[in-house]
Amino acid sequence: MTYRTERIRNFCIVAHVDHGKSTLADRMLQLTELVDVRHMRSQYLDKMDIERERGITIKAQTARLPYKPLGDVADEYLLNLIDTPGHVDFSYEVSRALNACEGAVLLVDAAQGMEAQTIANLYLALEADLEIIPVLNKIDLPAARPDEVAREIAAIIGGDPGDVLRISAKTGEGVVAVMDAIVDRVPPPKGDPEGPTRALIFDSIYDPYRGTLVYLRVVDGELKPGDRIRLLATGFEGEIDDLGVHAPEETAIDALGVGEVGVLSAAIKEVSEAKVGDTITLAGRGARTVRPLPGYREPLPMVFSGLYPVDSDDFPQLRDALDKLRLNDASFSFEPETSAALGFGFRCGFLGLLHLEIITERLDREFSIPLVTTAPSVRYRVTLEGVVDGDTGEPEVIEVANPQDLPEPNRIAEIREPTVNAMILTPTTYVGSVMQLCEGRRGTMVAMDYLTEERVELRYQLPLAGIITDFFDQLKSRTRGYASLDYERGEYLAADLVRVDLLLNGEPVDAFSSIVHRDEAYAFGKSMTEKLKELIPRQLFDVPVQAAIGSKIIARETIKAKRKDVLAKCYGGDVSRKRKLLEKQKEGKKKMKSVGSVEVPQEAFVSALRTSGGTGD
Amino acid sequence: MSPVSPPRVVTTPAARAGDRDWVRSPVECGPAAGFGVYLHVPFCHHRCGYCDFAVAAVGGLDPARRDDLEGRYVAAIRTDLARQVAAGRRAHAPPDAEHLDDRWPVVTSVFVGGGTPTLLSPERLASVIASVGEELDLAADAEVTVEANPETASVELFETLAAVGVTRVSIGAQSFTPHVLATLEREHTPAGPLRAAAMAREAGIAEISLDLIYGTPGETAEEWDDTLARVLSADVDHVSAYALTIHDGTPFGRRVARGLLPDVDEDVQAQRFAALQQVLGAGGFEHYEVSNLARGSRSRSRHNLLYWRHGDYLGVGAGAHGHLAGRRWWSTRSAPRYVHAVTSAGGRAWGEGATPLAGSEVLDDAQRAAERLFLGLRVREGLHPGDLPPIQPLALEDALAAGLVEIACGRLRCTEAGWFLLDDAVDRLTA
Ligand SMILES: Nc1nc2c(ncn2[C@@H]2O[C@H](COP(=O)(O)OP(=O)(O)OP(=O)(O)O)[C@@H](O)[C@H]2O)c(=O)[nH]1
Ligand SMILES: C[S@@+](CC[C@H](N)C(=O)[O-])C[C@H]1O[C@@H](n2cnc3c(N)ncnc32)[C@H](O)[C@@H]1O
Ligand code: SF4
Ligand SMILES: [Mg+2]
Repeated sequence: MTYRTERIRNFCIVAHVDHGKSTLADRMLQLTELVDVRHMRSQYLDKMDIERERGITIKAQTARLPYKPLGDVADEYLLNLIDTPGHVDFSYEVSRALNACEGAVLLVDAAQGMEAQTIANLYLALEADLEIIPVLNKIDLPAARPDEVAREIAAIIGGDPGDVLRISAKTGEGVVAVMDAIVDRVPPPKGDPEGPTRALIFDSIYDPYRGTLVYLRVVDGELKPGDRIRLLATGFEGEIDDLGVHAPEETAIDALGVGEVGVLSAAIKEVSEAKVGDTITLAGRGARTVRPLPGYREPLPMVFSGLYPVDSDDFPQLRDALDKLRLNDASFSFEPETSAALGFGFRCGFLGLLHLEIITERLDREFSIPLVTTAPSVRYRVTLEGVVDGDTGEPEVIEVANPQDLPEPNRIAEIREPTVNAMILTPTTYVGSVMQLCEGRRGTMVAMDYLTEERVELRYQLPLAGIITDFFDQLKSRTRGYASLDYERGEYLAADLVRVDLLLNGEPVDAFSSIVHRDEAYAFGKSMTEKLKELIPRQLFDVPVQAAIGSKIIARETIKAKRKDVLAKCYGGDVSRKRKLLEKQKEGKKKMKSVGSVEVPQEAFVSALRTSGGTGD
Repeated sequence: MSPVSPPRVVTTPAARAGDRDWVRSPVECGPAAGFGVYLHVPFCHHRCGYCDFAVAAVGGLDPARRDDLEGRYVAAIRTDLARQVAAGRRAHAPPDAEHLDDRWPVVTSVFVGGGTPTLLSPERLASVIASVGEELDLAADAEVTVEANPETASVELFETLAAVGVTRVSIGAQSFTPHVLATLEREHTPAGPLRAAAMAREAGIAEISLDLIYGTPGETAEEWDDTLARVLSADVDHVSAYALTIHDGTPFGRRVARGLLPDVDEDVQAQRFAALQQVLGAGGFEHYEVSNLARGSRSRSRHNLLYWRHGDYLGVGAGAHGHLAGRRWWSTRSAPRYVHAVTSAGGRAWGEGATPLAGSEVLDDAQRAAERLFLGLRVREGLHPGDLPPIQPLALEDALAAGLVEIACGRLRCTEAGWFLLDDAVDRLTA
């Protein structure tokens, strides 16, 4: 059945990581008696294994909640809920969700207070012109400071601190008031039920059994199973096989009207045919004249890493696995590349480090392909010396995501690097230490605002390369966990960058090359050679480890030859133990990549760079 | 008895005639190396901080309880040996050893190790040793070794031992530097091992060996040189020298993990080892096994050679391992549990009722091959061609090219460098 438009409320829950969005969604599902008590589990909407194990939301999820406010004698309301991820890597999911709603519940942990993603998501919601319902969560915690945090919220979004709702998503206290506020304050969707059908795709995922599933919100008109649809951007045409809603499990429905949120499947083979942000309309003569809805910018990968199978025979399997993963994650990209050290592999682009970690974990878990992952890097724009683009007459610019592809210094006119606009919220006591950290990573301060007496918002422009190593860990440890970070893509800026190569036994190992700022090159080379010395086990011969810029050696260490490995005793009782030890070592060796004549453990490729960080510490 | 196991795929280069001869009829290894009995006496006065052997510290027990436990243990070890022997040889052999009959070979070596066997009263220790001759045929020239801690030595003890046929004692000297002995938590002074050796000689025991540990944190190069000089002056004909190994789960392991004790240093141990080779070599010792040196081939430890040559032996006592033709079995490491299990099995046959066994394994050919190599290559002259498991030609080439092994008169042996990188050599040979 379709609801009358005035009875529909579309809202999402946005917050900083872990402030309790999914738990609040749980309470709403229970309150509307949608999920049987016996089937209830925490963070019900987090369905993926990785989400459940890590306790985080990665994919936004929807649920349709029929709700009768107490004392309202008229028929019920339909509340469409979208639960969103809090982590910065997945903030594009939040933008999509916001575009499918008229209201947003801004949830703030009463013990933690406002944090960076609270503010970032608040701005996104304001930009999308949504009704914002501020809610304080976790008031059951002894450490909760509801009055103080309510004042913080009011200071930023205006209004009276007393109007901020106070709830515990854990105990359920106050959740009814949130539902009522949604009914009262969030406007019903606007749309033309009679107009030509237009629906916005806000997500599309790949289901191995059913093909591509398209999550949509109807803006104008109506959709019914069997309708022949057309996707405006990709030109796909086909019949709707299934039309459904999440209640919260998928349930078939006979029609979706204005403002309603649902899911459809048609014979769409790949998610790329159903682009997020595309407009669905009915196929036919009228289709050409339908105006597309404002879409979204596609999320662009920010962080790049080479993925190589440890065993080169696994290359085709790796390609298949990446193809499959991309089927339901259009935000990551990959293209084949070769490395002299690592053989055939792929340069993959990710939204951030968490995204990288999740994809590699899924490759390991779902496809069990042992992998070497190279240290994350960013994509540079390099203007070539004296080369002019034939069409534009401008100097030619190439993009370099793999340090190995950086041209010789004499061919480079300029290198520009990506930056981010970062926002850091920190208690005032740690401002000095946070500024020191940002400056160490070549950041430029843009603004500093005291949100309250205790809390400062710092805005920095930072090279992206400076925050994809251990920036976040450093930030947390310098502020005892109290600071939070949010960032968005910034502009490209010129910088004095050089490539530092690492040589093992005199041979450059391309997978270890990095692009760093010239001022940091020596410190970087030194820390890399030291790290590799620790990470690479002793071999049968001395192995020099050198760092170089071009042909100039800037740091050197030696991994001394292994001297002895059998000096222990070996009598009756030791034999089995010894044999098992050797068997284990043999297993371990399989995880080594032999580079020239040197056996290098897989983890060396990532750990060496991950822990060396910038020079700001 | 289970049927013949299916033929295994052997990864041999060539289909040599009788591919499994290295298992079925070895030339120097396996049964050709003799037949031994190992008896374990777990009692120690105090457990040294580095030791992870099956040890029961009895220093803190009241004398009556200790006497009771030792008495019951000695009885148990005798019963256990009798039951293992009575079960016959096939009961211990793996299913594929169908060529073996049930008779036990003549015993060529006996080793009573610990723990501290000499903590037992001389009479009890003598009865443990005598049990072997009571249950099995002992060769006239059998080597019979007892491990002795210096502080437990007496002429009377050694005379009793000599009388029951002990031909060799192995004395746990470890070091001649007082602070090293203290770090190792030893209960004797530097003079102890020399005095013990003299007493053993006086009692008529001809073969005397000293155990040493090097690379102990705090031990200097000079101190180690001094220990080596004292060894030469001790007039012993055999030395076992071990690099200190820090095991997890021992007090040393925990102290290293917490940063309270420096970890051993591989380079320092390598230097100490070079000094050992050089000083004892100049003093007339032949370095015949990775950790063992002897004055001439006759002074080599026959019982230990049996281990390295993949030979067969019974293991009796807490934590003891036995091996027969590719099957291995071992008893619980706990002395009280061992006594309890053996005692409650009563007069029943081996394999019936309660058992002191904690586990057993039957090795497949790949495992036997790995063991044959990592044991056999520990000995200076390496392995006889007839005892060599199949080795992939490329693997052999790799180990040869890396300079780890060499072939001399058809024997495969380690190079001087490869000897100390034996794990690496075996890893390559079994690739
Ligand atoms: N004490 C208390 N704990 C809560 C409350 N609400 C949520 N939590 C806990 O806070 C943690 C995070 O909750 P989630 O619901 O997963 O948070 P989230 O905002 O969905 O997290 P992301 O999706 O990763 O951004 C969980 O351990 C919850 O049990 C509350 O009201 N009180
Ligand atoms: C099992 S012990 C028994 C001998 C006797 N209880 C003694 O300690 O003198 C045999 C020898 O193993 C050596 N040993 C024991 N633990 C060791 C370790 N952790 N590292 C190196 N050698 C060790 C010692 O040299 C010791 O003498
Ligand atoms: S005396 Fe020997 S067996 Fe006993 S604890 Fe010390 S090293 Fe181990
Ligand atoms: Mg969540």
